[in-house]
Amino acid sequence: MKKVYQLSDAISKFVHDGDYIAFGGFTTNRKPIAAVSEIIRQGQKDFILDSGPTGSDADMLIGAGRVKAYINCYTANSGVTNVSRRFRHAIEKGEILFEDYSQDAAVLMFHGAALGLPYVPIRMMLGTGLVDHWGISKEDRQKIDKLPNDKFLIQDDPFNPGHQIVLLPVPKIDVAILHVQMASFDGTCRIDGDEFHDVDLAIASKHCIVTCEELVTDEYIRREPSLNTIPGFCVDAVVHLPHGAHPSQCYGCYDYDNPFYVMYDKASKTQEDFDQFLKDWVYDVKDHSGYLNKLGGARLADLKAVPGFGYHTDMTKMAQEG
Amino acid sequence: MADYTNYTNREMQAISIAKSISDGQIAIVGTGLPLIGAALAKRIYAPNCTLIVESGLMDCAPIEVPRSVGDIRLMAHCAVQWPNVRYVGFQANEWLHDTSRMVAFIGGAQIDAYGNVNSTCIGDYHNPVTRFTGSGGANGIATFVNTIIMMQHEKRRFMDKIDYVTSAGWIDGPDGRAKVGLPANRGPQMVVTDRGIMKFDEQTKRMYLYGYYETSSPEDIIENTGFEIDVSKAIKIDPPTPDIIKIIREEIDPKQAFIKVPQ
Repeated sequence: MKKVYQLSDAISKFVHDGDYIAFGGFTTNRKPIAAVSEIIRQGQKDFILDSGPTGSDADMLIGAGRVKAYINCYTANSGVTNVSRRFRHAIEKGEILFEDYSQDAAVLMFHGAALGLPYVPIRMMLGTGLVDHWGISKEDRQKIDKLPNDKFLIQDDPFNPGHQIVLLPVPKIDVAILHVQMASFDGTCRIDGDEFHDVDLAIASKHCIVTCEELVTDEYIRREPSLNTIPGFCVDAVVHLPHGAHPSQCYGCYDYDNPFYVMYDKASKTQEDFDQFLKDWVYDVKDHSGYLNKLGGARLADLKAVPGFGYHTDMTKMAQEG
Repeated sequence: MADYTNYTNREMQAISIAKSISDGQIAIVGTGLPLIGAALAKRIYAPNCTLIVESGLMDCAPIEVPRSVGDIRLMAHCAVQWPNVRYVGFQANEWLHDTSRMVAFIGGAQIDAYGNVNSTCIGDYHNPVTRFTGSGGANGIATFVNTIIMMQHEKRRFMDKIDYVTSAGWIDGPDGRAKVGLPANRGPQMVVTDRGIMKFDEQTKRMYLYGYYETSSPEDIIENTGFEIDVSKAIKIDPPTPDIIKIIREEIDPKQAFIKVPQ
């Protein structure tokens, strides 16, 4: 059972200052928020953060001042906060190095890394600001070992001369953090619903931390191997962390906590209110158990997913309305 | 008795979106108005259309209105839950198929006369006055698929030169896309706003006014467009019937997630 950790031990062992870090999930779905909170409590900083489509996972780390360079394709708690506010503030005030790719490019870069490719040739981004502008200059890139020196290269397609293609570098990820529905002692993972780019991150990272809703025996998870998508070899630490994606969704387990997102929307408007949010919901709660106690049992019960839908809806009302 | 004659321009916009989807077409939708429009299309105008989203969820049939393209409400009841990267490949292979097979909806903060769209920033890219989310899936969509662009129709948004091109339209004219290496047989088809519908001239690829809502007029469109726009071909678009408005308010968006009912 040497892969099963407490959250604080997993984060302190595998997450270090200056790491190239990536999170699984998609905007407000299966985001490893409890792990992000633990990083903020422990104090690691100067990250290069690169996570595809993000929401408050990236926004919290940026707001806490821990991100040195942010590789962006989309940052929003969609439906509540249309542009994540600490992200937006940091760029508007020039407080952060940032780079933009399209979402297609971002997930292809992760996939290229997962396939072991040296770079990824694409036909997107041409004719747009994504190739006209570099968020992080070549000079700044040369000062940061973990960033490639070039945002991209444009070359003639060797198989189709006369046609330009964009070559994307693949990221060298130090640590990936995923939240999944089920994992076993040896690190085998089962993701219900869309896996997004999580499997690519697990393969393409030096270290991978998985937080899970349910921790089960290796024998149990192998009863149906066709449902498993990450072998334990790709996973360094497994942390049993029910509701570890709150306030985001976790398919089949719970829905997003909309009032919490609305509260975060307000709290993230100013640094002062955001700092108070961190005090209330990250520092003062001490750990994930403290966080869940502060949320309260009734609130969590109210988010429980309905079998067959995978999300929460008021079934009593549905039955009464026929 | 509820009043279904007091329709809003946002509802008109949703109906315009719905009517722009042909029966049997695959529609790439985001959340908000396109999703409402597509749900309406499926219900009324194009019952055999299918909905896909950039997170990789294929042939979605949500019962509740989703808040984002990764929402579980789209995951439940869909045909296949693909990882993002599979969707990216599916979209990039669209050149194998007819140009009319798929249509996509994107939005933005600024647009120019050739349908290039900005959803990245207002002002200088490095020191923006206002920063937005960035591309999301829009750049890839605008590369490989015909698009319909949703905009709020204001002079400060319809500009001669936009601050940043996030998603390519026709670039600068009929040869624009080929010149920069983008598929030339795909591009923006229509712009749907809260004042009317714009299309692109087949020869010049410049935006022109196709039709205006009864609450607008060609003069109103000219007044609210920051570049020169041809209104000579414009038609007046019929207002919606009360039964369509009733379906939007009671069946498609009953919780008013994206369309508010006037008081």
